[in-house]
Amino acid sequence: MSKLLLVGCIPDSDFPVTYGQVKKVDDYYLEVNGRKFDRTQGTAAMISAALAITTHFREEAPYVLIAGDIGGGEGTRGIYKYLIDNINEIKPDFITMHYCMPIMAVMIKVVEACEACEKKPFLIADAGAMYAAKGAGIAEKFDLFTPDPSEIAFLADPNATHPAYISRHLFDNNAAIIPEQIAAAYKYHSAAKTLVVKGKTDFVAQDGKVLHVIDSPDVPMLEPIGGTGDTITGLVSGLVYVGLEPDVAGVFACRTNRTAGKILNPTPATKARQLVDVFPQVCREYYCGWSGLCYLPDEEANK
Amino acid sequence: MADKKVFHGDGIVLFKDVADAMKGEKTLNKAGFDNKLIAPPPELRLGCDLALEINLVEKNAIEREFANNNVRVKEIAPLKKGTADVLDIVKVTDFGDWTMVKSGNMKISYEKKSGIIVNISGGGCPDIPYLNAMMVDKTLDETPLPRDIGYTLCATMLQRAYDEAVKLHKEGK
Repeated sequence: MSKLLLVGCIPDSDFPVTYGQVKKVDDYYLEVNGRKFDRTQGTAAMISAALAITTHFREEAPYVLIAGDIGGGEGTRGIYKYLIDNINEIKPDFITMHYCMPIMAVMIKVVEACEACEKKPFLIADAGAMYAAKGAGIAEKFDLFTPDPSEIAFLADPNATHPAYISRHLFDNNAAIIPEQIAAAYKYHSAAKTLVVKGKTDFVAQDGKVLHVIDSPDVPMLEPIGGTGDTITGLVSGLVYVGLEPDVAGVFACRTNRTAGKILNPTPATKARQLVDVFPQVCREYYCGWSGLCYLPDEEANK
Repeated sequence: MADKKVFHGDGIVLFKDVADAMKGEKTLNKAGFDNKLIAPPPELRLGCDLALEINLVEKNAIEREFANNNVRVKEIAPLKKGTADVLDIVKVTDFGDWTMVKSGNMKISYEKKSGIIVNISGGGCPDIPYLNAMMVDKTLDETPLPRDIGYTLCATMLQRAYDEAVKLHKEGK
């Protein structure tokens, strides 16, 4: 049985380093090892989205490794130390690393620990973990990144160490320049094998080539909602874990987010958790038509 | 804290003189920030011969630590030659009853009528979900500020977006 491990920090400085299988408590909270945490944004929104996918496919729920960190770095160091020290016992097949302080030296050690495993886990990164991987020059050791438009510009700029410091000419929300930025990110060895670039238009690229472009349904009201990029990272993590090829998982993740947005009809005041709550409906009603993912394992067994 | 001998940061703090640099190092060590004393590269020399290498992402928190301890700083800059200055581009999107202000990689959205912050998005550092929790559902007037409770460059960019949002809201936009 394979294992999906989701790693990141949450905005509660008193939350200790905690590892375990996650479950949804109610509309507002997730829980791991008896500790509740808010599922609104960031790492928790990513976890919520991945959990929606594993629940739909009746697969084992993701394991999470989380700690509180509000920017001081203590939680970041705590989760990565735990991961390095325990990776041989945890034996994750897929690891998604998310919100954390982008401490490059620590990320190098994490990836070294992954490479020392009997089987190297499939590595996904977004947010601070992706910044650290790029800044440390080890992006190519990752299997999948999920940058937003600012972040693909950051990956395309060989000198940038943070998305706030990208060259001015790269900062443009024009989707037409994103393929160039994707090409530059691969050229400068700053890209993972697969890139899922999320924005007004989504792009899925692999090994330097754009394979898929997703631009519908167009739901502009998703842009101001914090966490709607995090949900794509969670969706693609769950979809790779249940067996989709990385590029196909990227397409499904983007289409799921967009379609949920269309159903929800959000305003800029909508919260990401409300979007996540529509994912089960999208899975039920659309996945069959999109791909032939038309039955669930125990439904088949009950026939 | 990481071993200083192997610490490699991506930002540099420039000081007016060596005494300030020494005081800066002591302050950051006491507060637990990774850092090391270095000679500044020629293109960044301002007449001093000592600087501090830091994790640039911690700029906001380091600036606050220096301010709280009266450490005088000339400049905090990226260490890599050729890296651009912090993005200063601000973009505004009108969503009818709401306005979204984007500064660099950070976005803040508020309701025009009430000034209530309804969402914060963008960024990847762990203080952003914290700032989201502390600022959303508060008015622009009553919210705590990113520069006061944030730590990272993402918080710096959010402060810029917030400042623009306050200005626009006062103009009724």
